[in-house]
Amino acid sequence: MAASNVSSVSLSLNDRLYAGLVALLLGGFLVFGAGLANSSVLHDTAHDTRHSYGFPCH
Amino acid sequence: MIVKYLLAALVAGLFSGALMTVAQEARVIPLILHAEEFEGGDEEPAAPGAEAQPDASHEHSALGIGATMSEVAAYFSPISVAHAHEGEHEDGGIMFGMSRFSGTLLANLVTGAGFALLLAGVSLVTGNAITVANGALWGAAGWLAVHLLPAIGLPPELPGFPAADLGDRQVWWVATVVLSAVGLYLLILKDGIAAKVAGIVLIGAPQVYGAPQPADIASNVPAVLGAEFAVAALATTLFFWVVLGLSLGFANEKIGVSEKVAAKAA
Repeated sequence: MAASNVSSVSLSLNDRLYAGLVALLLGGFLVFGAGLANSSVLHDTAHDTRHSYGFPCH
Repeated sequence: MIVKYLLAALVAGLFSGALMTVAQEARVIPLILHAEEFEGGDEEPAAPGAEAQPDASHEHSALGIGATMSEVAAYFSPISVAHAHEGEHEDGGIMFGMSRFSGTLLANLVTGAGFALLLAGVSLVTGNAITVANGALWGAAGWLAVHLLPAIGLPPELPGFPAADLGDRQVWWVATVVLSAVGLYLLILKDGIAAKVAGIVLIGAPQVYGAPQPADIASNVPAVLGAEFAVAALATTLFFWVVLGLSLGFANEKIGVSEKVAAKAA
């Protein structure tokens, strides 16, 4: 049992991978929507943010 | 349990996004507004009628909080966003009729939450915890992958800057961010000379391949503004990522503490 705590994230391996993948998917979706999505309403709302973060814009 | 880690990331991301908005308003937004006064030269095939307007005034007319009329009218305009250099505030309109500032704040909160979830996701999948002690370094690594390394090929652009095709740039940008992130992971968190070499190769590959560049680099926007903007954008995003890494570490440690308490109580 002593070796089971090498990872300092205190979740079981499956839970950890699951949580990580959910976080990656959700985060990717949010960043895509705010930064990259080719919708004029999203573009105009996030315009200054896109420029400030250096997303390719216009 | 899982939800708690996602919530910690959300809290840290919203907090960092809110602080980022303050930093942006101080250092970056004034430069964007200034550049828009020069935007709208002859490098874009503008919609008929739009190019007859003088460069300066019409962009600003839509910026005020009360100036929703032109936005509403522009909402129905058929100009596609890819050609929105001239009138980006006149063809889409800001969501829910919000002011420009509210739109930026909302976008910063969404972006902050998104980057926080991505950072937490990398931490969870690779099994390396983010703490207060190493949070700033996690943040700095995120900044390298998402901002500095892509900026080598595609520097932060001001409105009115010449640029290659949007789709090409987005593909290169996303590929560079992903390759840089994987490369940094191999370089920093993996042991062994082979992993370090592979990391450097991955980080270097998109730079060697090269970012899509515009054929004509002439611009009406003064170069000094562009230089100031590039530095301001990179500095404020570094601030954002360091705050994000630290607050995510803090939120994670809070979760750890509350779990130990719960375990004792059980």
